[in-house]
Amino acid sequence: MGLGGLALAWLLREEGLLAAPVRPELQPLHFDLSPKPTHHAPKARAMISLLMIGGPSQIDLFDPKPGMAKWDGQPFPEEIHYDNAAEASSKVLASPWKFHRRGQCGMELSELLPHLGTIADDLCLIRSMRTGVNNHGQSMYALNTGRITAGRPALGSWLGYGLGSESRDLPAYIAMASPHGAPLLAGDCWTSGWLPGIYQGTLARPTDPRILNLDPPAHLRGAPQQAQLDYLARLNSEHLAEHPGELDLDARIRSYELAARMQTAAKEAFDISGESDATRELYGIERDETRDYGRRCLIARRLVERGVRFVQVLNQGQSWDHHGSIVSALPSSCRAVDQPSAALVKDLKSRGLLDSTVVHWGGEMGRLPVLQNDRGRDKCGRDHNTHGFSMWVAGGGLKAGHVHGATDDWGHKAVKDVVMHHDWHATLLHLFGLDHERLTYRRNGAELSLTDNQGAKIVPGLIA
Amino acid sequence: MRLAATSTLALAAVLVAARGDASPNFERDVRPILKTHCFPCHGEGDEKPKGGLDLRLRRLIVAAQTDDGPVLVPGKPDQSRLVENIRSGKMPKGEKKLSPAEIASIESWVAAGAPTLRPEPEQLVQGEITPEERAFWAFQPIHPAPPPAGTDPNPIDRFIAAEQSAHGLAFAPEAGRAALVRRVTFDLTGLPPTPADVAGFVADLAPDAYERLVDRLLASPAYGERWGRHWLDVAGYADSNGYTEADSVRPHAWHYRDYVVRSFNQDKPWDRFVREQLAGDELAATAHGRTGVIVTNDFVRENLVATGFLRMVPDGTADGPPDQNLARNEVMAATLKTVGSSLLGLTVGCAQCHDHRYDPILHADYTRLRAVFEPAIDWKSWRPPGERLYSLYTPGQRAEAERVEADARKVDGEADKLQQELLDAAFEKELAKLPEEIRGTTRVARNTAPEKRTEEQKQLFKKYPSADTRFALDLFDPEGNKKVLAKRAEATRVRGTRPAEDFLMALTEVPGQVPETHRFQRGDHDQPKETIGPGELSVLAPAGTTNLARWASVGTHLPSTGRRLAYARWLTGGSHPLVPRVLANRFWMLHFGRGLVNTPGDFGRLGERPTHPALLDWLADDFVAHGWHLKRLHRLMLTSRAYRQSSSNEASTRDDPENRWVARFRMRRLDAEAVRDGWLAVAGDLNPAWGGPAVPVALEPSGRVVAGTQKRDGNGDPAGVDSLGADAFRRSVYVQVRRRWPLTVLETFDGPALNPNCEIRASTTVAPQSLLLMNDDFATGEARALAGRLQREWPGRVASQLRTAWTRVYGTPPGDRDLAGCLDFYNRQAERFRGAKPTVPDPPLQALSGVCQALMSSNRFLYLD
Repeated sequence: MGLGGLALAWLLREEGLLAAPVRPELQPLHFDLSPKPTHHAPKARAMISLLMIGGPSQIDLFDPKPGMAKWDGQPFPEEIHYDNAAEASSKVLASPWKFHRRGQCGMELSELLPHLGTIADDLCLIRSMRTGVNNHGQSMYALNTGRITAGRPALGSWLGYGLGSESRDLPAYIAMASPHGAPLLAGDCWTSGWLPGIYQGTLARPTDPRILNLDPPAHLRGAPQQAQLDYLARLNSEHLAEHPGELDLDARIRSYELAARMQTAAKEAFDISGESDATRELYGIERDETRDYGRRCLIARRLVERGVRFVQVLNQGQSWDHHGSIVSALPSSCRAVDQPSAALVKDLKSRGLLDSTVVHWGGEMGRLPVLQNDRGRDKCGRDHNTHGFSMWVAGGGLKAGHVHGATDDWGHKAVKDVVMHHDWHATLLHLFGLDHERLTYRRNGAELSLTDNQGAKIVPGLIA
Repeated sequence: MRLAATSTLALAAVLVAARGDASPNFERDVRPILKTHCFPCHGEGDEKPKGGLDLRLRRLIVAAQTDDGPVLVPGKPDQSRLVENIRSGKMPKGEKKLSPAEIASIESWVAAGAPTLRPEPEQLVQGEITPEERAFWAFQPIHPAPPPAGTDPNPIDRFIAAEQSAHGLAFAPEAGRAALVRRVTFDLTGLPPTPADVAGFVADLAPDAYERLVDRLLASPAYGERWGRHWLDVAGYADSNGYTEADSVRPHAWHYRDYVVRSFNQDKPWDRFVREQLAGDELAATAHGRTGVIVTNDFVRENLVATGFLRMVPDGTADGPPDQNLARNEVMAATLKTVGSSLLGLTVGCAQCHDHRYDPILHADYTRLRAVFEPAIDWKSWRPPGERLYSLYTPGQRAEAERVEADARKVDGEADKLQQELLDAAFEKELAKLPEEIRGTTRVARNTAPEKRTEEQKQLFKKYPSADTRFALDLFDPEGNKKVLAKRAEATRVRGTRPAEDFLMALTEVPGQVPETHRFQRGDHDQPKETIGPGELSVLAPAGTTNLARWASVGTHLPSTGRRLAYARWLTGGSHPLVPRVLANRFWMLHFGRGLVNTPGDFGRLGERPTHPALLDWLADDFVAHGWHLKRLHRLMLTSRAYRQSSSNEASTRDDPENRWVARFRMRRLDAEAVRDGWLAVAGDLNPAWGGPAVPVALEPSGRVVAGTQKRDGNGDPAGVDSLGADAFRRSVYVQVRRRWPLTVLETFDGPALNPNCEIRASTTVAPQSLLLMNDDFATGEARALAGRLQREWPGRVASQLRTAWTRVYGTPPGDRDLAGCLDFYNRQAERFRGAKPTVPDPPLQALSGVCQALMSSNRFLYLD
């Protein structure tokens, strides 16, 4: 053996990464989406995640800091961590928007989210979120897959794995893309990572038809296509018998079965033409500004109503990343989603679905109390803030009309009742009747979980 | 090479010695923890360390005091605030605390008296890289160990077998011959073997039959189309500019695609291939404005087109981006990301704003790399995509074009003159209709340009609008206007006789224009800091200097700086630790379905470690030592037992589902292009035409993106698709890559996501794929095409049609049971169609199409085993 080779192998062994082989225990090589028993009685059975990737400004939307007004434009008097974005400045930027007490609970919310105020009594507003990482990508991985690294299964895949599906006719997990483009991380937002492929999210297109190819050719419609699929299933099962244990082959057989049923079911589920005028108005579908988001929120409700476990409504890129021109850009981002998001909660509630559906609204970070890009009021923005941000959740056994946690006087750092992403995940799984330490998947000899030994704790303060 | 090897050994000796006495030390046990968690506030970056505490050296820590006492008291963990603060979780400030193991390491180091391995430097250099960081496996020189002992003739197998036996596994038996020929044919050409290919190989019992098969496939033009496509993923090949919604088309990008395909087919040595792509312009000693007549100079043309590699990233600078300077700088950032992930296997982009948090890549290193490319990608003197095109006219064609243009202008002039004469005549007629007394003022007013007219003159024409005969000749003199239009049409016709002009997209420098490269604070181009010269990343730089001695040795005779050429020569000189490993790993991944390092674009700390480090080094060394010939490496890998083994190995499937130890051939789905091209091939529709402009894609009202010509409505929006005929059936590599509109068939089966390039493809299993194969016009159309051919080949003979269908799709003839099942389905389906209301035309054709579609959609077709 050459000396260099020796050194390299030795170095790797030093790292402990060429550890002695572990023989994993046998695990069932069969996975399906049939409903699974939970660890305890669940409160939630479905979830809709309204992802606002980029970092919506908590100081301007959810976390009022009236004391900052007198500091506006003054040097920030405390230490600040600018993270890594450009155009740093130490001038305080007090929120140019007013906050009002809304609902019976008196939750203070920004004037930029007037519709949200109408459901304040249904919201559980968390003002003390943290992921502990700085970059958009890593922080998104943390919130969406439990850890900051790529390759892990998304939250929706874990729910499908742990609970199965309540719909035989629709995917358990559907991601709804924005017409403006792919979200940050693209497919990693709805990946099943190392979980079997049947737990992947299915991406719906941003415009109609949301799912392509739902119509069989005329002559195949009905019995002829079913006969053809039966023949295909026979071919595939004979092939699988020659390759036992190949999970992908099995997943594809199931995907044909699902596809066949989706032809009618998905068409019906994604078709909002039968919704009443009142509903369309509620979601803002008749107005240009809210049309797209309103439609997608309404479809999300229809999917959950039909047994879909997890729906992700995505924005484009990191469109809430308001480094500049926050005075105009933030209101415009808010206008597109405020009414539809509030409508979704109201609509679910009026249909008796809110109790069993978790609605989540939020991004992966917040923004700093100081301004960025000091080139005038219309140009300036706010840099990333990884020390504290807000998100709201509702329904599914969460407290309502409740504010959890707090940041310091500047909205800079979460200081009270901090909720880490893994704490949120543990709490969420708990609502779904799952114990985050018991929902595991065995891979390469290790038991892996969503919260993955990060010391996650259920947050009782969030639970009704 | 020798020097580097010695230093590695010295380093290993240092570490062995340190480990030998089992006592902890700062450099190995403590500093990496502090670097990840603490340095961002306490030592690195442009700001002063928080609380005045710099944790980068042991002596600085010992000297530091807090209000509550000393930071570090050697030997006394309980009196050290450092230990107290990490134990209590007060530090680090974020929510990410140290793990118990990390805390224990620091505690035991303090308890042991806080020793260091060696005397600490007098001066702390910003961004110092420690010997421990340098010791990371991926930065070590490539030193191949001889293959382990064993009976397998192919060295690869001895490396693999050694690991297998350590993991309680063993090779599966050799795959069946039919499976093997299908596997290797799809692998090398992206197309299925014909039934004759399969039968021929199954019957060929000569000992070298497989080797000859591999050679034949490597010699096939389809090989370059397949493997070129793999490289186009990494290069981020696109026929559109992306970045903005406009996603404007790059009509000339295909020259680079053809260059890549050609280079693979020629087995161009990869050292040359890489040099051409990074610095072809400098190899050819050309520069912007000095390219000469490209078309007549093969050497210049081939080298210039190769630099298309550096023009592939999204570039929205000509499409009205919201922030032009940002858009320019993002072209640079994306280019460095592509170079970093394709060749270096490092996420250099993470050092764009600050030192890399995990790998020893300094912010200054990123800037050094930027400086290599900045003379060609100069955001202060920007050339948008349209100014980076180089004409392929011959001198004769150019002269001809100029002559034609002169002729056309002459005709234009005649048309202008005629039009003016006719308008003047019309005016006289209109003038005659006006009262005599205002004719003079009207004449003056008409000859005054509208924007210079007085209020009175404007009122005049409001009253007598028809007197303003300056335009709209068609209204005044329709017959005369036709003559003018005929002249204009003549000019257009003349222009149409210009020889068609084609262009190359290329990366060049402007002679004499050498921008300074600044480190940008926090990555912000509006906050330039110190100037930094071109160089290699510190941790990779040979002989301890980033400013490679070679920088100076090129360039004096060049019209450009020579920086990229020098860099490319260093990368391909054979002693670079990463380039050969990264390439060999990628080739392995493409053959075996899993990389030896399964994060092919990240060999850093966050990437995976090699499963077979010795094999990786042996392959990388072998590749370089034998002239960087990929076809040789293909032969080596493909003839291994590891590659030829069966996909069935119960122990491996059960214990090693990801197949890290290569104890079976891991079944895998055909990738996007192989699905589409495979369907076209078995249906008999595949058009094998080679190269040339991209087959256009168009958006259907159904939302599908198909190969076709876009029809547009009055607003220029897509409104239907015109068929392309046989061009629609060309191989996927030739279909236009619109970033915004990926071809639906390819996108559905996980075609590359280009942001900006694609290091590794996903392989998903989702219902939209099934829906596509069930209902999409592509699937039903190709199934019917195959059925139609079978009926014509075997008129009236259903059993032969079915037998042939099976054989074409799978490569091997059906067994009796298979055929019986097929026939049964066919008969029932035909019967159903005969009785259908409304009537189904040609029930036998429809039934046969259904059989074909089922076969082509089945796992036996979609997966390689």
